[in-house]
Amino acid sequence: MLSPFNELQERLLMGGVAPRHVRRYLKELGDHLADLAAEEKSVGLNRQQAESTALARLGSIEELAVAMIEQRQFRAWSSRAPWAAFGLAPLLALGAAWFAALFILWSGWNIFLPGAVTPFGAGPIHGFANIYFQFGKMIYFFAPVFIGWGVALAVARQRLSIGWPTLGLAFLSLAGAAARVHAVHAVLSGGAAQVGISFSIGNSSGDIAQGLLRALVLLSLMALPYLIWRLQRAFYPSAR
Amino acid sequence: MNGVPELLILTLLQHREMYGYEIVQAIRDRTGAVIAVGEGVVYPVLHGLERDGALVSRRKSVSGRSRIYYAATLAGLRRLAGLSQSWTQLAVAIQGVMKGGQYAQPIQ
Repeated sequence: MLSPFNELQERLLMGGVAPRHVRRYLKELGDHLADLAAEEKSVGLNRQQAESTALARLGSIEELAVAMIEQRQFRAWSSRAPWAAFGLAPLLALGAAWFAALFILWSGWNIFLPGAVTPFGAGPIHGFANIYFQFGKMIYFFAPVFIGWGVALAVARQRLSIGWPTLGLAFLSLAGAAARVHAVHAVLSGGAAQVGISFSIGNSSGDIAQGLLRALVLLSLMALPYLIWRLQRAFYPSAR
Repeated sequence: MNGVPELLILTLLQHREMYGYEIVQAIRDRTGAVIAVGEGVVYPVLHGLERDGALVSRRKSVSGRSRIYYAATLAGLRRLAGLSQSWTQLAVAIQGVMKGGQYAQPIQ
């Protein structure tokens, strides 16, 4: 099977074409190329001649790339609206994940610790209750990192420039570092359990420095897979 | 040449389904290879027509090879009718201009 499309793949991804459309295009081009090579062989050309004639008939990389890139409908959202894909969507995803985490905390408090003043350190929790609370905690703490990895993966897959993604990751890490969960019993509403989230980097300069350090650690964790991928490409350019 | 690839493809697919290579060879045969572009550029046109709902595709295995076959939909046939009409009008108009030299004065 001929596979001369690595350059075309890079060109299409950098041109903003969505990876799924790139995959399909390259698959069909590969099939077409094989048919052309078979046709050329059937008229007496040797394998090498048949393959180079087939490639020429298929079209130049530039011609094939432009034909696809010009069709805006095949562009990925990350290319059409990077501000939404990397600025807004990660924050919305983080909001959704934290909502789920708070719901788990609130429902666990009501189900497993009814009457307790706080769900934090109210006493030993065992079995399913423990798993339930730990699951919520895991979502809360790891959501920024997982979402950041998703952003990094999209950037790597689509060969995107890092401007908007970096801004998105910076917002995510700041949100992750500044978030604080509160759980209180509301006296006025008959002792109903209430959970919420607030954001503060800190009041004193020491707190602010600590908050920024947390944000930096989060940012480094989020960016780590992307940095590894870039290093891998730098040392092994043929690896895709 | 705007709309020509779509017109040719929809014309070929109005009666039977075909895959990319087949479509390109049919265009080459029927146009006497007058339209010479890279054969691979047919796929963005096919994908665009499919996205617009003018074509449907299905994967089919033939002689051990998996191919993507395309067929025209009702929307595609309507689009073909529109394209055919405008191209016929355009061709008639251009022929009229090319033949109708009776008003032209030779430059002295």
